Amino acid sequence: MIDLINITKDYGTTIAVNNLNLHVASGDIYGFIGPNGAGKTTTIRMMGGIIEPSSGSIIIDGIDMKENPVAAKKIIGVVPDRPFLYEKLTGAEFLKFIADIYEVDAKSVRQRSDDLLRQFALWDWANEIIEAYSHGMKQRLIIAAALMHDPKILVVDEPMVGLDPSAVRMVKDIFKDLASKNVAIFVSTHTLSIAEDMCDRIGVIHKGNLVAQGTMDELNSAAQTQKARLEEVFLTLIHEA
Amino acid sequence: MRNVLLILLRPRMLSSIIGIRPGKKGNNWWRVFMFSAIGLIFWIGAFAIFFRVLNYFNSVEDFGDILAMKLLSMMMITFFALLLFSNIINSLSHLYLSRDLPLLHSLPVSSRDIFLSRWISSAFDSSWMVILFSMPVFLSYGIIYSAGIGFYLIAFCAIIILCLIAAAISSLLVMLGAVILPAGKIRALFVVMGVALAILLVIFLRMIRPEQLVNPETFASVVNYLNTMQALNSPFMPTTWITDAARFALKSQWKSSLFNLSLCASFAYTLIFINKSFAGFSYFRGFSRAQTTAKRLFSPLTFHDRTWDNLLNFLHRPAKAVAVKEIRSFFRDSTQWPQLFLICALIVIYLYNFSVLPLDKSPIKTIYLQNVFSFLNMGLAAFVLSAIAARFVFPAVSIESEAFWIIQAAPVSIKTFLWIKFFLYYLPLLIVSEILIIVSNILLGVTPFIMVLSIITMFCLVPAVVALAVGLGARYPDFKSENPALAATSFGGLLFMVCAFGLIASVIILEAGPVYYTFMAQVHGRNLSVFHAFWLIISFSTAFILCVFAIYFPMRLGEKHLKKL
Repeated sequence: MIDLINITKDYGTTIAVNNLNLHVASGDIYGFIGPNGAGKTTTIRMMGGIIEPSSGSIIIDGIDMKENPVAAKKIIGVVPDRPFLYEKLTGAEFLKFIADIYEVDAKSVRQRSDDLLRQFALWDWANEIIEAYSHGMKQRLIIAAALMHDPKILVVDEPMVGLDPSAVRMVKDIFKDLASKNVAIFVSTHTLSIAEDMCDRIGVIHKGNLVAQGTMDELNSAAQTQKARLEEVFLTLIHEA
Repeated sequence: MRNVLLILLRPRMLSSIIGIRPGKKGNNWWRVFMFSAIGLIFWIGAFAIFFRVLNYFNSVEDFGDILAMKLLSMMMITFFALLLFSNIINSLSHLYLSRDLPLLHSLPVSSRDIFLSRWISSAFDSSWMVILFSMPVFLSYGIIYSAGIGFYLIAFCAIIILCLIAAAISSLLVMLGAVILPAGKIRALFVVMGVALAILLVIFLRMIRPEQLVNPETFASVVNYLNTMQALNSPFMPTTWITDAARFALKSQWKSSLFNLSLCASFAYTLIFINKSFAGFSYFRGFSRAQTTAKRLFSPLTFHDRTWDNLLNFLHRPAKAVAVKEIRSFFRDSTQWPQLFLICALIVIYLYNFSVLPLDKSPIKTIYLQNVFSFLNMGLAAFVLSAIAARFVFPAVSIESEAFWIIQAAPVSIKTFLWIKFFLYYLPLLIVSEILIIVSNILLGVTPFIMVLSIITMFCLVPAVVALAVGLGARYPDFKSENPALAATSFGGLLFMVCAFGLIASVIILEAGPVYYTFMAQVHGRNLSVFHAFWLIISFSTAFILCVFAIYFPMRLGEKHLKKL
């Protein structure tokens, strides 16, 4: 579903991502963890088509992001780490905007939008301008917007920041439900317990390099730890790298 | 307290210094140089115009001095109006809406100190340009009246005091508004002030009645004319004291000059004292009210369950989505309103002035004058268009601000996105420009040839200017700015104005020669010579190619830059 082949992002003064290779299959939840400034957000921005890699290819469901970005973006839903939105639109108007941009079937837009607003507990705020929303509400709206066009792939950067415990639980359940419907989910997070609990496979990135990836068992073996929690595995891998 | 104020002002000062410090690529020095060079050209231009006008007044016996002083008084009123307008907009943002205010209010400093620091920043931002461009006015007066250093010192103090008075009046009005208006509706102040200022502007400019200067009959009763102007010189207006301080200093009547200056200074001090005291008990209250949930100014416009956006159903869905988003965001952003009202007021004044031009009473031959005016009007209308484009179209990409990721991640190419923006602004601007040019031409009573030429020229210039604005706005975007509209005053905005003026001037110059010969041939009932016909074809083709180039090249430049981000 998602293939990153020899991806490098060179900002001139720093190499944010260095020769990254990874694959996420449909129905997989792939966790991407690493310290601050490791290259997680840069990777996600490249996968979402927000920035171009300096070299390498990003293949989304068989479509090369560089060759056909519009087609590739149509099947991805992106949730960035900070909820910057069009503050002067209402929540409902924003979802309509996204539906039109992604050309969601016009007949189902209203129903889909209402369902998502209810699902993300935003129904009562649907007609208020986004400027008035709290951080958590904006975060929920952004996730709802990313699901508006039923994406085959969901790329999420720090989904739980600013969410209250019930919203965290809700988002986790939604991600698991999507994965069961064969949606490939690539999620970057600092909350290791969530990654451990939710992800099928996890990649560890440090200073732009992928240090290790795999299931919890495979990571334990890479870190030469035995049945350790992700936190210990992560710290060991980072320390060694 | 002084220490606290300095600490509070330090981040602002440091960011200004960092702003002009050369970047790693050394680009900033070039930008600073270009800004300064263009500023200097305008400064010298303003000086040249004032010097020439005053020199002319000086040569007019009896009335020359009266006219010069009248001009000085008009300039002070204009400066004061400009200062009030920019101070109201700036103090509202600086005192109540800036993003760093919650952080400032969490610090262990009194709200009065926060108020003072923000008031100083706001007053500086609103005044520096007025101070800078008042200098050529005073310099030309000083030279014409052979004034000594005392005049310049008093003039400089006078303009600073005028700035302080305007800043103090504005912040008092804004603080009052913040307390009176319902919580969450503080942005409505922008609308209220916008309407009030637009009405004041129309009244003020109509009181000046500049058209009378070209009507020879008014010179017979110049005293009557001057008397009508007297209404603006009330002894209770600070502008009168400022004008008098400068006027008496020009004539070395130091006692009267210093009396008027002291009057202004004490008034400014009193206003600042009232501000400080009022801020002590009302500023934080107003700020807290402004922090409550922002409310929409107007309820949604619906008709039989349908909203206005159904009118755009003919557009492709992504294009319609961007267009609807853009229109909604624009009209819900109340900071846009005052300038929108002002532009409407200026257009009304622009057209009204053509209707009252006494062309039939002018000593110059009417048909010729009408057509010369119409040709100049074409350039003027295009310059008005550029100014509107600089304010509203150039920031069109920056206005996406940090939500630009949505467009980057959306299945819409940057090229499509830019062209949607282009058409969104092109259509209303084309309508406004064509209305301006057609109505003013009808009022001037021009020949059909000039009418058709003006319409076609504007038809070619509008897309070129809009594409320049969208393209250069995309080449020099500022997605981090708290107020994206300020992009118009950035390096890119300046570059746009230079390019737009260059384009308009080139097109007008290219057309001027052939149009003159065609017009004269028509007047004399002759046929155009082969040489002149050839010249006309070459000139018009070059002008057309220039416009096409101005549409294509900046859009491509902007697209390339946005793709690289």
